[in-house]
Amino acid sequence: MENEHFSPEESLKVIDSMLQKTRNEIKGNDIYFLMWGWLTFVCCTSQFLLKRVFDYPKHYLVWWLTLVGVAMSVIITIKQGKQKRVQTYIDESMGFLWTGMGISFFVLSMILSKVGWDKPVFPFFIMLYGLGTFISGCLLRFRPFITGGIIAWIIAIGSIYLDYDYQILCGGVAIFVSYIIPAYMLRAKANSQE
Amino acid sequence: MKEENFSETDSLKLINEMISKVKRSYVTKGIASMVWGVLIITCSLLTWAEVRYNWDPGFDVWLLVFLALIPQIFFSIKEKRSRKFTAHDETTTTYVWSAFAISIFILSFYNSKFGSEQATTLFMMLYGIPTFITGGMFKFKPMIVGGLICWALSVVSVFTPVDADMLLMAGSGLFAWLIPGIILWNRYQKQRRENV
Repeated sequence: MENEHFSPEESLKVIDSMLQKTRNEIKGNDIYFLMWGWLTFVCCTSQFLLKRVFDYPKHYLVWWLTLVGVAMSVIITIKQGKQKRVQTYIDESMGFLWTGMGISFFVLSMILSKVGWDKPVFPFFIMLYGLGTFISGCLLRFRPFITGGIIAWIIAIGSIYLDYDYQILCGGVAIFVSYIIPAYMLRAKANSQE
Repeated sequence: MKEENFSETDSLKLINEMISKVKRSYVTKGIASMVWGVLIITCSLLTWAEVRYNWDPGFDVWLLVFLALIPQIFFSIKEKRSRKFTAHDETTTTYVWSAFAISIFILSFYNSKFGSEQATTLFMMLYGIPTFITGGMFKFKPMIVGGLICWALSVVSVFTPVDADMLLMAGSGLFAWLIPGIILWNRYQKQRRENV
């Protein structure tokens, strides 16, 4: 490698091309956003229906569905790990980001199992959804995720003023706006670049 | 530039070099980390004294946190002026900590509405996120460990009284920011001595 002939502009060009490459690789990773997005969306809307419409007292049990998401994520990660040749810097950062988010959701679940699931915690969950997508958008330089994250934060603040039932519904809306829509946009963009 | 000789491995090598270059400049930020660490520890211990000994300082001690913004803004502007370029991960770090600041604001807002008894627990959980991510992005282990400790202390605080929570919060500030900040500062000083 002839480093001496390599100007900063050229270096940045290489980094940009690597970013582009990673963004295309994300096409394979968008499955995480879509899977978790739809799973959480289903959990939120189901909990709302079970509580509000069917008056089922153990409406929160629907969240056990997320264990399916955990199992599927592990399987997909192992599968993709075998196929991938190189681990880029952005791959690593995304890994740390979502490991951190995963641990945070786990810690939050532990806290809630102690203090009770009937507490108005959805604004806090929505805030975390926003945090994850906003940083992902910054890492990938993909604006729809950044915008989605900001909208999720606005929904989080707004939901503070609502009843618990409608906070659940806000969670569904937030996940739809910040995960599902941007993930489909990312997939469409990656497809159009191929 | 001989692009035809530039393989994917070469690109990755170059990116790694760029990362280590940024890593060297990032050490200067040990100051910000130390300032935050000292402030969080001080505010936590003062709150602990308030709760434990019914001591009244006459003002909300957490307002002191705003003091940290002054050196933070000062050093950011100073560094921005002296730098020729901003690397991708530096920009991302700025976004990570901006996202953290927004989250702290939302959580404070949430607590003001619900007066949550678990406020300290939630704050510590939140402290862990940017610390862990930053540590991971820069491959800086003390911050990764600091983030994990924040989460562990957050879980412990669910089972402890409010005054003890404040001591745990001080522990978060110590492990997430003060200790990593001191390590970064020492590395920076060592590097400066080597460059002289």
